[in-house]
Amino acid sequence: MFKKVLTMILPLLLSVGIFAQTRVAGTVADSGGEPLAGVAVFTQVGASTVSALTDEDGNFSIEVPEGSVLTFSMMGFATRLVAASEKMNVVLDEERNVLDESVVIGYGTVKKKDLLGSVSTVREQSLQDRKSGGVIQSMQGLVSGVNITSSGQPGSNAAIKIRGIGSFTGNSPLFIVDGSYGGSELGLNVEDIESIQVLKDASSAAIYGSRAASGVVIITTKKGKAGDLKVKFDAGVQVYWLPRYDLMNAETYRQYDDMAYQNAILSGVSGVKGLQNHYDADTDWQGEMLSTAAIQNYNISLSGGSKSVNYYASVNYKDDNGALKYSGFKQVGFRVNTSGRKGIFEYGENFFFTKSWTSNLTGNPWANFIVMPPTVPVYDESNPGGFGYGNPDRANTYGLNPIAQNELYHSDNAQQYLYGDIYGKVDFIRDIFYAKLNFSYKNYFGETSTLRKKGNWTMGQGDDAAYIGYQTAKHDRILVEPTLNYAQTIRNHEISAVAGFSYDVFHEEYRGETKLDPLVVGDKYITSFNSATGTQTCTGSYVEYNLMSYFARVNYSYGDRYLVQLTARRDGTSRLPKATRWSSFGSASIGWRISKEKFFNVSWIDDLKIRANYGTLGNTNIGAWDYQATINTAPRAIMYGDEKVIGMTQSNLTNNDLVWERKTTANVGVDFSALGTRLTASAEYYYSKSSDLLLSLPVLMTTGNEGGAPTVNAGSLRNTGVEIEVGWHDTVGDFSYAVNGNISTCSNRVLDLGYSQTVYYTSLSKSEIGKPLGMWYLYKTLGIFQSSKDVKNHVNSEGKIIQPDAKPGDIIYDDYNDDGQITSEDRQIVGSPWAKLYAGLNISLGYKGLDLNISGYGRFGQMVYNGARATAADFSTNQNNFNDYAPWTVDNPSTTTPRALYGDTRNTRGDQDRWLENGSFWRFSDITLGYSIPSRILAKAKIEAVRFSVTAKNLVTFTKYSGLDPEFADSGIYTIGYDGCSFPNPRSVQFALSFTF
Amino acid sequence: MKRFLKISLAAVAALSLSSCGALDIQNENGLSTGMFWKSQDDINSGLNAVYGMFYRQGTWTRNIYTQLNGMADDGVSYAGWTELNEWTKFNYTNYNFAEGQTKMWREHWTAVNRANQVLDNIDNPEITYDSEEYKLDLKAQALWLRSFYYFYMVALWDNVPLILHTSSAADKPANSKNPEDQVNIVFTQIEEDLSWAAEHLPLTREKEVARPTRGAAYGLLAKVYMQHKKWDKAAECLEWIVDGEGKSLYSLQKNWADNFSNKTEDNSESLYEIQFSLCNYVGFDQTDNYLDANAQLGTQIEVNQSPKGTGWNNVEANRWVVEYFKREKTTEGKNDPRLYYTCWYAEAEADFPEFPDHLMYQKKWSDYKYSTYDNKRVFIKKYSTDAYPLYYWNDNNFRSLRLADMLLLYAECINEMEKGPTAKAVQCLDAVRTRVGLPAIASSTYYDGAKITSDYDAFKEHIKIERALELAFECVRWIDLKRWGFTEETVAEMASRDEDYTHFVLGRHERLPLPQKDCDNNPELNQNPNY
Repeated sequence: MFKKVLTMILPLLLSVGIFAQTRVAGTVADSGGEPLAGVAVFTQVGASTVSALTDEDGNFSIEVPEGSVLTFSMMGFATRLVAASEKMNVVLDEERNVLDESVVIGYGTVKKKDLLGSVSTVREQSLQDRKSGGVIQSMQGLVSGVNITSSGQPGSNAAIKIRGIGSFTGNSPLFIVDGSYGGSELGLNVEDIESIQVLKDASSAAIYGSRAASGVVIITTKKGKAGDLKVKFDAGVQVYWLPRYDLMNAETYRQYDDMAYQNAILSGVSGVKGLQNHYDADTDWQGEMLSTAAIQNYNISLSGGSKSVNYYASVNYKDDNGALKYSGFKQVGFRVNTSGRKGIFEYGENFFFTKSWTSNLTGNPWANFIVMPPTVPVYDESNPGGFGYGNPDRANTYGLNPIAQNELYHSDNAQQYLYGDIYGKVDFIRDIFYAKLNFSYKNYFGETSTLRKKGNWTMGQGDDAAYIGYQTAKHDRILVEPTLNYAQTIRNHEISAVAGFSYDVFHEEYRGETKLDPLVVGDKYITSFNSATGTQTCTGSYVEYNLMSYFARVNYSYGDRYLVQLTARRDGTSRLPKATRWSSFGSASIGWRISKEKFFNVSWIDDLKIRANYGTLGNTNIGAWDYQATINTAPRAIMYGDEKVIGMTQSNLTNNDLVWERKTTANVGVDFSALGTRLTASAEYYYSKSSDLLLSLPVLMTTGNEGGAPTVNAGSLRNTGVEIEVGWHDTVGDFSYAVNGNISTCSNRVLDLGYSQTVYYTSLSKSEIGKPLGMWYLYKTLGIFQSSKDVKNHVNSEGKIIQPDAKPGDIIYDDYNDDGQITSEDRQIVGSPWAKLYAGLNISLGYKGLDLNISGYGRFGQMVYNGARATAADFSTNQNNFNDYAPWTVDNPSTTTPRALYGDTRNTRGDQDRWLENGSFWRFSDITLGYSIPSRILAKAKIEAVRFSVTAKNLVTFTKYSGLDPEFADSGIYTIGYDGCSFPNPRSVQFALSFTF
Repeated sequence: MKRFLKISLAAVAALSLSSCGALDIQNENGLSTGMFWKSQDDINSGLNAVYGMFYRQGTWTRNIYTQLNGMADDGVSYAGWTELNEWTKFNYTNYNFAEGQTKMWREHWTAVNRANQVLDNIDNPEITYDSEEYKLDLKAQALWLRSFYYFYMVALWDNVPLILHTSSAADKPANSKNPEDQVNIVFTQIEEDLSWAAEHLPLTREKEVARPTRGAAYGLLAKVYMQHKKWDKAAECLEWIVDGEGKSLYSLQKNWADNFSNKTEDNSESLYEIQFSLCNYVGFDQTDNYLDANAQLGTQIEVNQSPKGTGWNNVEANRWVVEYFKREKTTEGKNDPRLYYTCWYAEAEADFPEFPDHLMYQKKWSDYKYSTYDNKRVFIKKYSTDAYPLYYWNDNNFRSLRLADMLLLYAECINEMEKGPTAKAVQCLDAVRTRVGLPAIASSTYYDGAKITSDYDAFKEHIKIERALELAFECVRWIDLKRWGFTEETVAEMASRDEDYTHFVLGRHERLPLPQKDCDNNPELNQNPNY
């Protein structure tokens, strides 16, 4: 928003001091080509203003100094600055004023000022320097209440959660692209996006009913505008690299590994009789796998239109050569959006095709960087396949050689989407009553080709056969949505309504085949299935589900002061049993614009509105057939010799009484705008309660269940939070600036758990009714035994020695239940994985053509499990460790790190609080310096805009967390703060050029 | 205009009506359970799925060998995987450790649940069977299999809940506060089931030898009664095998090594073998994929216990086994040939000059260039094959119940009942000894034969040695040790042979901890004492 101000102000100031007078004339029209009367045309000359108004036909004439920039301004339209020229044709776009901006809320729009729900908007301008990542990544830090976590893997998607965990089954919101269902996986091109709206509460999202429990992200792509052909070219190169662990080299490693063996011998660890005869390599596994890479991104768009037809077309190409060896990603996308109008008919279509190629990395090398001793060589001719790895005498480790793993097993993935929607609209009564039929179709095809060569990457690997594999997945999705819309203003009564029907059909097919023993000619593996000679196997399955819905919404406002919105939706899904598959959802919202009341007489406040809403959303984001029990026909058994019989059994338990998950939310908010809209603010409080949560809650192993935990309606969860967004923008002389900040909190409480449990445990966490989900539940450590006296003094209340086998240098564990021994009863809650505060900040500064944007975000107060430290684990299985490793020794009696000890895990157990750290961080994710050549100069060359920018991404992070990256992809709702050697976010510098004519 | 409105409304209505049935979609990726359990073939298929549970990492493909042999004092693990080797050393840290614990627990329960599905549906009156005899046979097999899995669960964890019906997701089965009470409950149940099965299983099988016979039922039942110390009941079963109907069915193999070779399977010494085959060759370690019809049907016993430098070397022998074998000479003055087939060790070539082949996976011991320390190690040869290079699996049947075991149990049982060895007891013991060329115990070159053949304690102590040697690494010794009981004295004695026992804490390590996840999430399930 501030950029608009910036472009408005800067050229204006540049023009000062030029006095040669010239007469300019021209016409002003709207984007549909209709002439506009009464547009103010003005410019500043010295201390005074020169101005004119357009006539009935949109014509104007004005005398101004040469080189002036004219300002065109009219209520309801966005103000434009255009360099004065002799004959001017100016098109004004409809109002982009913050308050009058329309916000897409599903099957319609409302003006932002009339919004009753909680909606955050991201505009095209905010995205302009964020084009190299995916759609979700581009939104990072720009909206409150939305938590985005990216993983740095090429071609991977960032994860997005709106207002925390509302559901257990996929907390990814519903994506609506131009009115049709998208998916977070969609390779949508950021450059094509005009706006993103995030619907966060029931009021806004209820029209999407059952699909909207985790919020809705509505993406609107660009449309052509009436006028001449406009060509926009964007190019960006992002040079990026990945952070590295500070790991020991071979020399340091040998020293500590020998120490660990000596300690083991002294402690009598059985089977340890001497030091390792270390390999003599000095391998930097990270150095072998990591390098600096580049993402190139090119985009060309063409747009334009006339009064009756407009179009937008774009081509995008992206190439990421992968900072990790063997990884990479390429993507091509095409988009054509057109719309037209004739008489009472309006039609349009949006087509998008994208194809991407991913070179998949095998395994997670981040754990193996730590596990693999630096003494092991990358290559070792004496091993099958020729790669180095563990050896019982020389490096007794089951670590995986990442180079070997990727050389010997590689898969390439190609995916393509065809995605289109066509709509037709009939105006029965123009601007009052129309019908619309939207038909959308999505087609996906993905294929993965795999080649497994002969050879090993770890100790103890068997004589695996070589094979080739080929897997495909394809799906079709059809959505048909007829709607009827009505909108009318009768005196002070403004009413609008929409009603419709939606039918969604989804079908997906999977096929996979593998064949052993591909032909090998010299070093080359022939990947044709026909030429392979071994056993062939194939698999196949399909998924199918349908959803049928009826919906309606009514908006009413009286005198622009009292606002009401009612929404209802009824959904039927094939994913639930017949008896429970239909359910109704609805919401009611009210708003009061105090600033419009007669008694309200505060001149500096432009707008003040309070609003409240209450509503229910649903969710059945579960497997297509989770309620149906089936017989598994795969078991086989040998009866005699090689005689095989077929077994059948029910392997996977099911719950056939599933019902809709429901999420009821209440939301109270204030919207405020003051001082000539320079100050904007909104604040909300929300409360949501999810009940009958659908979840694959692990069942007891004693059930013998196999094939994943059955889905169950597993209890309920409450989320509460506060979100505040504040923005300020102003201009001081040549200098303009804007600051937008948001902070939010989100906390959850478990209200009920599945299978009538009062508590649910995983191996690291405990979830208890009345407490937040997934609290860290671990053994508490109390330091390090410094002497055998300390061991004898660590007693319970009855004087019993708690750890009689401990030696100086071992960890002191807390005997929580005071029974004089360390048992499973000694685990306790030692921290919360949930952030107490989320914040985002955007600062923009502009001076003449220069602008500086700084975006940052942070999370505070969460305890994070540092999986990298836990993996290093004090040489217990010959792993490498970090250079800051300082174990307890007699000479260096550490109070935090136990002695190095091979062959014994007493000090290195995964479920101790030693691996927890404060995960708070603040990250300046994007710092962009840009320069836009003033339009005064460009106007002469018939160029509309040229912009250069350079962005530093993720280069500045403040955190005490000692892992690679405090922002990581979590591993599920019960261990939300578990950083299991996650793929870190890349650091990068991006150069971008944008050119419009 | 109005017409247009009508048309669109009609279109909406038509669309809604036509798609009403669209929400009923049947999953045809698998057979619906509602359509199953309707015929004897369904029951038989259900039963086959129970047999299919032999081929899992947590059952008889892999983990149970490491665990039972590693915990016992004859075996030891020096696996490079620290957590795995600690798990056989009474050094339990993570009670949810997959490889040594949860996989075995889960897959044993899966087997029980598969058997329960058969047992819950077999009496469905809708089903017609070819004959009542056939139906009873199917039922007896299901009961035998369920009892088999319970027997090994008790061996590992003692305090296992008793689940006799098809599971549902919400089940929270209970065990006892005191593990001994629960052992009694489980043994009582499986004694009843196996007795019933013994009555209804056929004496022999023409072809499908994986299905248990009456002898297999009596053999397993005898083991249960022995653990339960119901000597007289055990004696009835063993008497049936040794001198009753079993006498004409079972005999000791002349060549002792035939009991562990994949070339001499299903021989007359076996009461029950778990059948392994390499017919499902997948090429890589595809063992636990319950949805893959091509998942392997072989055993990993060989790669799992293979010598250092060959396969996984997850479990190996303690030195005392070699020394004990070498105490006695055969009547020809040679070393006990069982040693040659049981262990690989540095001096084997010198100890057994009469055997031409001293190759360990096509190399001589000395070719491995082991260190001084490694040259003192002893690797497990029993169940090895001539496969080379070592593959993940072999097809060597596991001799789960064999006559030599039964004879020694019978000898022990009689000694317990009669409070001293009878002629029958001595005869059983001697049958096992003389088959491998050792003299009858009375004329042993090392042991005090006179005392052994006349004294309860001496006979009992000798049975312990004889069983240790005859049945080493056959997943028997840990169960024997439990039967003979752990006391400060015996643990100290075992610690002198196997340093793992220096970690053994009485009152805790007689059994594994239960998987913590199940204890945590089931208030009815008590963790074993002191864990």
